Amino acid sequence: MNISRWANSVALAAVLALSSPVWAATPANTLVVADAIDDVITLDPGEVSEVGGVLASNQMYQPLVSFDVSDPTKIVGVLAESWTVSPDGKIYTFKMNPKATFASGNPVTARDAEYSLRRVVLMKSRSAFIITQFGFTPENVNDHIKATDDQTLVVEIGDTYSPSFLFYCLSSYVGGIVDSKLVKEHETNGDFGNAWLKTANSAGSGPFVLAKWEPKQSILLKRNDNYWGEKPGVERVFIQHSAESAAQRLLLEKGDIDIANKLGPDDFDAIAGNSDIAVMNGRSGTIYYMGLNVRNENLAKPKVVEALKYLVDYDGIAGTISKGTMEVHQTLVPNGFLGALDYKPYKLDIEKAKSLLAEAGVKGEISLDTVVWNTPPYTDFAQAIQATMAQAGIKLNLQVVDGQQWLDRYRNHNLDIWLGLWGPDYPDPHSNAKAFAVNKQDAPDGSESLADRFGWDAGDLSKQAMAAVREQDTQKRKAMYEAIQKTHTDTSPFLYMFQQTRKVAINSKVKGLVLGLTFSDDRYWTITKE
Amino acid sequence: MILRLLTYSRHAGAWAATVAITLFGLAVLTFVIGRVVPIDPVLAIVGDKASPDVYQRVFIELGRDKPLYVQFATYVSGLLHGDFGQSFVTSRPVLSDLLDFFPATLELSTIGLLIGMVLGIPAGVAAAYWHEKWPDHLVRLIALVGYSVPVFWLGLVGLFFLYFKLDWVSGPGQLDVFYQGIVENRTGSILIDSALAGEWEVFWNAMSHIILPALLLGYYSLAYIGRMTRSMMLDQLNREYVLTARLKGASEFEVVVGHALRNAAIPLVTIVALSYGSLLEGSVLVETIFSWPGIGNYLASSLFRADMNAVLGGTLVVGAVFVFLNMLSDALYGVLDPRAREHLS
Repeated sequence: MNISRWANSVALAAVLALSSPVWAATPANTLVVADAIDDVITLDPGEVSEVGGVLASNQMYQPLVSFDVSDPTKIVGVLAESWTVSPDGKIYTFKMNPKATFASGNPVTARDAEYSLRRVVLMKSRSAFIITQFGFTPENVNDHIKATDDQTLVVEIGDTYSPSFLFYCLSSYVGGIVDSKLVKEHETNGDFGNAWLKTANSAGSGPFVLAKWEPKQSILLKRNDNYWGEKPGVERVFIQHSAESAAQRLLLEKGDIDIANKLGPDDFDAIAGNSDIAVMNGRSGTIYYMGLNVRNENLAKPKVVEALKYLVDYDGIAGTISKGTMEVHQTLVPNGFLGALDYKPYKLDIEKAKSLLAEAGVKGEISLDTVVWNTPPYTDFAQAIQATMAQAGIKLNLQVVDGQQWLDRYRNHNLDIWLGLWGPDYPDPHSNAKAFAVNKQDAPDGSESLADRFGWDAGDLSKQAMAAVREQDTQKRKAMYEAIQKTHTDTSPFLYMFQQTRKVAINSKVKGLVLGLTFSDDRYWTITKE
Repeated sequence: MILRLLTYSRHAGAWAATVAITLFGLAVLTFVIGRVVPIDPVLAIVGDKASPDVYQRVFIELGRDKPLYVQFATYVSGLLHGDFGQSFVTSRPVLSDLLDFFPATLELSTIGLLIGMVLGIPAGVAAAYWHEKWPDHLVRLIALVGYSVPVFWLGLVGLFFLYFKLDWVSGPGQLDVFYQGIVENRTGSILIDSALAGEWEVFWNAMSHIILPALLLGYYSLAYIGRMTRSMMLDQLNREYVLTARLKGASEFEVVVGHALRNAAIPLVTIVALSYGSLLEGSVLVETIFSWPGIGNYLASSLFRADMNAVLGGTLVVGAVFVFLNMLSDALYGVLDPRAREHLS
């Protein structure tokens, strides 16, 4: 009797404790975003690179120029008000926007732009490659990037390029301008303020400032009260680490987060009928492809490479595995970019593949070591492709490895096939053309491209791609990329499969979210919550 | 008296040596494994697209240009000065990372273990007492499910019902956004910090977040502790001293709890210590599903980023925890077992 009464009261107390009010909605002044951010190692705009880091940094720092999200071919000024390009295409003169100020209250001047861009090169930042391809080195950058007065920045590049190419590169994460006055105060041992900016402080002119970053847990941004543009609709942005898709879905459905950035295809299915949730479709330049290492004697035969291109069930995979989060795409320039082309010559055709293999003189089974990242969608893709390839006697020897090993294997050419992705760093077709079509000897910075990684001599295409990025006339440039792509798709050892369609699930109370063009370019300052 | 003190100090000395050797061995092993895995930590930092220049800069910064033994010596001499090195992911000393992440696991595991013990031991005793009757079948069934159902599945199902459908508990994370940043971080444990600060609303919110993952971990340790208790109790209940006690007219409670359980308690200490140890390693899956910033998550994400200082530091902490628990259970042996007491003195 006594015991049961005791047990009852304990049970009651437990129920009361557990059902204490649970806040079923996020605070109205705070935007809560769930994303996988445990890989972020820095928030310094000069060296950010991880998706979550770029996402946060884009809310805090602004570039000189950017592009119109609804029409990416249109370049718009952000911190620069206007610009001119010299007739030979080598000297760019930017006039700064006199209204722009940093969060500290300091005006944004050409000196800040000079400092910020030089800084990336001088620090030898890991993201420097985006701008060093214009010929800047630590030795020459002080001569080539110069503020002639507070309002004028002169940038002299080593070679003639299509102006939009430079603008796109400057619009990317590495082009974020920092408050030079503030950062210089915090320089230690010639680190350009890197230690200060890396984890705990921000010095930008953007709509938000850094409040607190808890590595691997959360990033909290506060509204910049000195923001020179239109005041953001929310006071705080809280990016919370949540790696698991199903858990994110529950949080979103429950109203505990406003934006879920990492939902998988199945979870999009599950929320389809929920009227409290809206799904936004954005663009993503990410392309899924297989790289075939032509150092392999079989893959060195063009007919074998072509045969493999007929051994992927493109439509089947896009329909069943990716469920609308990807679409079939078979060229190197993603949809939405200048020169994008609707060219899909390949579909699953086992007979055709068999005859191509016979023409190539292949007898019996070919076994190919295929390196796959141990995470969806790669593992699912790999199994589906393995099954269709087997029907023509191609045995894919799947080696499922973790992400770092996956990178290592292809950098060291230690594989026959690599199943992977490519995400452009800036929304210019050259980001992809350089990767897939330009060989080392043609690249101005001499860097190894994907073509080199897979042992492929792109021949004429390599020179054509470099000519395209130097073309001043946009229409001509577009036509050049179209030509390059067709030949590239037909002859290269790259087996393009899909382009990602970005999907972001949001609470329907969230209004005004603008999705960016490349990964992690979403704009949170236009958001209001009802 | 002096003799006894001497014996104790000899024991303590032996212990210290064992601990030192164990931890040193662990450091060597982890270090070597960390260096032979086919992962390039430089690449993990600079990414695939950086130029060779940048790669070289970071390569030197990480000290990878030095011979392996020099790298190890540098690491160990750092360790001896209490310096675990720096994590490149968090840009903080590994030690302060560990002080941040370990308490989250500690509070979760401790509550989990308490649940496991409070429910598991009585369940095991009941199962043994009513051997082959329905309580026994029930306990075995519960334990079997606990053993065989994957934890991530159970975690998601738990979230779905208790959080999503019934609204009894809060979702993933340690606190609602609403309560973030109210309580100053002093011990690393939100429960303790909020209680110390007298912020009871924060405390209850933290409680509503921790309870589900703790129940989950509790269930798994319950399955283990319950099963082991059952088999130990079965063993004890068949002994002759139990028969003797009954013949002498001791009450059933006295027989089961006073005699049999007391004897079973000695090996049980090891079982409990082991399951506490495995909880303190941090359950990566539970921590991932519940976005729990614990040591398991920390270790796993560091491993995927090839952040070797963090992995080494985390492994050493887990190793030290096991060593400490071993010591603790040995000490408890002394309390529970008269023979061990005698042996010690």
